[in-house]
Amino acid sequence: MISDLTSLRRALAAAGITPASVVPAASADRREEAEIHLAQLVEGDRVEALPIGDPVGWPGPVAFLDGVQHSEVVGYAGSSPIVVASAAAAVRERTDRVLATRVMRRRDLAIGRRAALDAAGPALDALERVELSDADPPHPIRELAQAGAALDDARGALEVAVGVAYRGGSSAWLVVDGSLAESPVWARDPRMVGVAKSHSSLPFDGADLESYLRLPVGYRSPIFAPASRRLAPVRAWAVRLWPWEGKDLLHGLIRVEVAPASGTPETADRISRWLMAERAPISAPDPRWDRMLYGIRSVEEFLRATA
Amino acid sequence: MSAPPIGRVVATELKPSTPHQFYFWTATESAVGIGAIVRVDHPGRTVYGVVTDGMAYADLASPLHAVIGAEGDPAAAAHEPTSRTEVRLFLAAVLRQIPEEPLQPVPLGAVHLASDADVELALRMDAYTRSERPTGIPVGVYALGGHESPVLLDADFLLGPEAAHLNITGVSGLATKTSAVEFLLSSIFQTFPSHRGSIAAVCFNVKGPDLCFLDQPGEISERDHALYDKLGLAAEPLTSARYFAPFKADGVNLNTLRTHEALQHNTEPLVWGLREVLDYAEVVMNRDDIDAKADAFIDFLAERVVGREFTDELLRGKPFRVESFADLEEFFRAIFDFMEAMGRGGEVWRTHHIATIRKVRNRLGNISTRAKGLVIDDGAPNDLPWGKFDDRTVYVVDVAGVDPLAQDLVFARCVSKLREHLERRDLGVDHVVVFVDELNKYAPADGPDTYVRKMLLDLAERGRYLGLVLFSAQQFRSQVQRRIVGNAGTSVFGRMDMDELATPAYATLSPAIKIKLATLPKGELMLRHPHFTQPIFARFPRPAMLSGREGVERFPPGAELPFADAVARQLKQLDRRVATDAVRALVEGRQELDVRRALALTRRTRPDDVLAFFTAKLGRRVGGEVVTARSTIRPVPSGVDPYQ
Repeated sequence: MISDLTSLRRALAAAGITPASVVPAASADRREEAEIHLAQLVEGDRVEALPIGDPVGWPGPVAFLDGVQHSEVVGYAGSSPIVVASAAAAVRERTDRVLATRVMRRRDLAIGRRAALDAAGPALDALERVELSDADPPHPIRELAQAGAALDDARGALEVAVGVAYRGGSSAWLVVDGSLAESPVWARDPRMVGVAKSHSSLPFDGADLESYLRLPVGYRSPIFAPASRRLAPVRAWAVRLWPWEGKDLLHGLIRVEVAPASGTPETADRISRWLMAERAPISAPDPRWDRMLYGIRSVEEFLRATA
Repeated sequence: MSAPPIGRVVATELKPSTPHQFYFWTATESAVGIGAIVRVDHPGRTVYGVVTDGMAYADLASPLHAVIGAEGDPAAAAHEPTSRTEVRLFLAAVLRQIPEEPLQPVPLGAVHLASDADVELALRMDAYTRSERPTGIPVGVYALGGHESPVLLDADFLLGPEAAHLNITGVSGLATKTSAVEFLLSSIFQTFPSHRGSIAAVCFNVKGPDLCFLDQPGEISERDHALYDKLGLAAEPLTSARYFAPFKADGVNLNTLRTHEALQHNTEPLVWGLREVLDYAEVVMNRDDIDAKADAFIDFLAERVVGREFTDELLRGKPFRVESFADLEEFFRAIFDFMEAMGRGGEVWRTHHIATIRKVRNRLGNISTRAKGLVIDDGAPNDLPWGKFDDRTVYVVDVAGVDPLAQDLVFARCVSKLREHLERRDLGVDHVVVFVDELNKYAPADGPDTYVRKMLLDLAERGRYLGLVLFSAQQFRSQVQRRIVGNAGTSVFGRMDMDELATPAYATLSPAIKIKLATLPKGELMLRHPHFTQPIFARFPRPAMLSGREGVERFPPGAELPFADAVARQLKQLDRRVATDAVRALVEGRQELDVRRALALTRRTRPDDVLAFFTAKLGRRVGGEVVTARSTIRPVPSGVDPYQ
């Protein structure tokens, strides 16, 4: 729908908008800030490496959920940027080792201040309007950051909708790329697992953090309750999928999230063993292959190829 | 409702679609394979292509990632919880685009497996199978992609006049080459359109019993019967067949494996005399022999001496009548005697130098020695029925057991005679297929430019205008004279040797096609034909006739008979009433030369009373005479010599 940005820019120019061409840095990937949000241990009283046992294949069908987004500045109305963006999310289910898409949704957005979007006229009619706040005076850099946040929210909402739609019709496990705390529905679902690759936000400090980050391969951290900065409480633990020595402290380290009701040591061990088995096939050539599950990458590849 | 597509055309900057080729992907499980014919549908344009190469790859950037994922254990890779995404990408060469103009890159359309109708269009067979005067000759079925679609050659391009000749290449031992030619001859005889005239075939059997049983029905499977039905052909042998084979050195037993009693009715001797051989004396000359002087003397013999009365008072008082090699030797002897008598200055006779005369005499004499059994010193010849060829009849000349020189002589004379008669339009048929196996032996790429090679080249380059068509076979196409195979409008390839495929002649074939050719099963072949823009794979049914090996088992060759019995068998072929004992009694004590002469005359005349005619031609028996000691003059007693 917005694949022909050249035509769109021409139409905007005809409407008096000054065409532009830039991918906002904040929107090229998701915004993350390095910070510590202290979590509460719910298993033991200190962070230590717990062995999880031999890898075990995930029993029965399992599905993977991920979303992608892309945005581009297509013009300026005065000093206000107009951003067009796409967000898409999908669930691909694995049965007998073969992945197949079960649910997919997509949104094409035009993001900007109301006045800027109005100035664009009918050129943006085919896109869903997302209006930024007019409370502050125009500031192009701030507006780009706001547009990025709006797109993040749109993608997140899309992922939640897709996940809910899939789980509504299937009893299979659903592995989500990221945190379950995005949605109270997810956070309550006993057959959903969140796998976070990002460690910008760390749950411990001091010796606990050192133990957390220096987990050996095949070990997990104790279960903890992350500080609730999102919508819903979850239980989490870290698993080291690949040896990090000689590489990087975060190499092969994932944070696993489940519903609070599933936050037992037995469940944590079992899911950790399943996740260890998901190391192969590895997701290379993706640079995050040490933490990205192949099923998640498959969803990303599918969305990039089709969205 | 049309079948769902099996693939989609895909084009990238690095792998674009062009007017001559395109890429398409399929599901990992599909019926597409190398050689499959596919159809691309796109609004306003339909493209037909044949798959020439295939690729498969996964989303791995490096094999190292697979090793890491499996932690170095190949067995563990099979137990990965998710199968890697894999693409099956095929490369297809365009066979035809509809519309033909403007010629454009292949569109990004849906790809379907070709149906029977698609195959007909893709191979442009509609031009000659759907016309008012169709000229299609079934050659096999295209049997890839789950379909079995008939493939037909255009008679105008297989048997002339547009193009002609067929060459078949393949490794030995699979019987594909011989079987393919046998099947194709059967197909031609059944389907060659009458509006294109009549047709016969002359096959040279050059090894073993290969072509010795074309007229005998063989067992074929149900599957082959189904193929015959699909092609609209009857599964039957070449019932109208005549066999010719030279004699063995004894002049009465045939030099062939087809000597079983049950096969005698259509097996005849091939016997030539001096007259038949003289015109082809060049065949036995090597490069050094061929000069103007030898030619002039041979021409002198042919025009002035052989077959007519020749008088030269200097040689002898009575005229010469040279009809046989024996007569010719007598003639040469007279010349040499005359020249010896002349002494100094006697080196030239009638402008011909004695060295030239001796050379020609030696070479011609060599023929009767090395081709003994084919060439007779005396007696009547028995030849192919020049001028009386029958429509849809195969004439097999079995030269498998004779000297290579004699084989060359047979090729040269038979093909030359065919050409002569076809030029005069008095052969009896309008087209003749000549089948020569082991072409690399008779027309090698390297080596001396022999008479036979020149003759085959002439046949390949000019035969189609006359209706003279060369079907040839060899193991290595690269070892055959290029112009001969290059003139073959239709080329057939069976299983090939990889070394052969590595030669430049096959550079246009993709590696996948080469691999397929190197592993082709028996009964499958690859075809090039002027109407097909790309090579096509086809399967043909087993010919409905006995193979050489089966034929020898079912009709074991008769034992070589004693002279008298062999004569009796030949006379019995003319008249079943002839008794062997009677012939034995007649032949007893006779000169073999006289018997052979009488037999040849009987065979040529085919009288009503064979035995009486044979007896008459044997002539009066000269009775034996016991020499008794005669009384002599008593010797003079020694010691009383009156002259001492």
